Amino acid sequence: MSNQEIRIVTKIVNELTHFFLLHGHKKIKIETYHEDEATLFVITVEKMSTTLAATIKKKVDRERWLEIETYGWELIGDIDSKSELEIVGHLIDEVHIKHDGAKSVVTLVRKNRYRKKK
Amino acid sequence: MMELVLKLRQRMLMPVIFIILFAMSFFAAGELIPGYIDILRSPSVLISDYLLIGGLSATLFNVSTIMLINIIMLNRLKMKMTGPVFAGLLTIAGFSFFGKNLFNTIPIYIGIYIYARMQRLEFKSFMIVVLFSTGISPIVSFMIFGIEWPLYVGIPAGLLVGIITGFILPAISAHTVRFHKGYNLYNIGFAMGVISMFYSAILRAFNVDFWLGGPTTEAYHSELQILTLLMSGVFILSAFIMDRRVLKSYPALLKSSGRLVSDFIRDFGRPSTMLNVGIMGIISLIVLQILSIEINGPVMGGVLTVMGFGAFGKHPRNAIPVMTGALLGAALTPAYNIDMVSMAIAVLFVTALSPVAGRYGIVAGVVAGFLHIIITPLAFTFQGGFDLYNNGFAAGFVAAALIPFLEALKKDKPEEER
Repeated sequence: MSNQEIRIVTKIVNELTHFFLLHGHKKIKIETYHEDEATLFVITVEKMSTTLAATIKKKVDRERWLEIETYGWELIGDIDSKSELEIVGHLIDEVHIKHDGAKSVVTLVRKNRYRKKK
Repeated sequence: MMELVLKLRQRMLMPVIFIILFAMSFFAAGELIPGYIDILRSPSVLISDYLLIGGLSATLFNVSTIMLINIIMLNRLKMKMTGPVFAGLLTIAGFSFFGKNLFNTIPIYIGIYIYARMQRLEFKSFMIVVLFSTGISPIVSFMIFGIEWPLYVGIPAGLLVGIITGFILPAISAHTVRFHKGYNLYNIGFAMGVISMFYSAILRAFNVDFWLGGPTTEAYHSELQILTLLMSGVFILSAFIMDRRVLKSYPALLKSSGRLVSDFIRDFGRPSTMLNVGIMGIISLIVLQILSIEINGPVMGGVLTVMGFGAFGKHPRNAIPVMTGALLGAALTPAYNIDMVSMAIAVLFVTALSPVAGRYGIVAGVVAGFLHIIITPLAFTFQGGFDLYNNGFAAGFVAAALIPFLEALKKDKPEEER
């Protein structure tokens, strides 16, 4: 993984932590899995409200925006404004939210655009 | 016919505007070639009014050719017409009235291309930086035509400095966005101001005189007023052609703060965005009319930039407060008045700070505008005139000073917005 990719992944984790803390979640587990094809972010929290799930879906479920990779990604995690999670949305390809008993699991998928050819 | 309409929709009518500009460039064909050569040979530092240097037809030819080259590049890279791309194109058009030409912009693109290759990233992923990068192109012209070096020294030196500038700009501009937290829409102007500051320091250390900016001309006020009115009308009309009920969807755009990186085309659709672009053009004209400011090259650059950013962060609700603050600054301070060219264009370019009003309200916007107008002349002295986006350089400092304070005031409020 390139240094730039590491910086972006770290920023996304930072922003997700910030987001759930601001929404009152006290137990947050964030796992990242770096595969050749993609990086996965799996966030497990105590069951979230349907409103919050809808907010996340609305803000994060948007088209990947190539130019943000080089301009704008540094804004993530810097300030308490509502637009920042949207920038995360432009850096990932898929978002899935599952409710499993007392827990909710949010999975974000960031596909690797610059995978080395074998 | 239907296919043509669809194509125009996809390309956001840019070719139409290009054709209008191109056609107008031939109004005085006899003056075109010598005027265009004078533009290419101009040192181009702030403020170099190409309308004075080369005349109207040569200037519009300059605008048209630069836009054409950029449209071809965007098409070849299969770039979508997003808000930043649209803003970038109109900004290029605007600054081609006073500082950008084909000769001084290409080396900077080459520098960014080399950087992208070295980073093993796609060149198109740098497109936001590319489109705004040429604000520092006067450094190329100055090295070639501003210092009395023979051309065999000046040309390689100018090209090399241009390429180096393009090479370092992406990294710096990605970082400077954090300085003002995305509340200065002309972030790349701020990054280029930092680079320009170093260039001017080096030149000053070697006793090189670079204060070459000169007078402007208002001789083409009527023609440029008509052109702006025509363009604004085309954008507003196209919005209604795309969606007759655009007025119902437009208020959603007005609620946006406009903070970087916001793309109105993605978020609110083309009809609302085109309507906004046209309205921003009309607002610019009204402000100029009220203040009796006649259009010269730099003012025209300001108008087109305001219109372009109508797709990338500016709208009446967030722009009018900062413009009001700037007007108050010019009116209430004895050192400045609106008759000064730098003040007249600052009233338009102050809209770089529109997101401050968009997020923190009217009062914050007015204060930001007021501070901007008194910081801008200092910023010019600081950066030396190689950064055409001097207002972007000034706005970066204003936003950086204001935002932490405004955030602190908001800190304890409920977080329901997030």
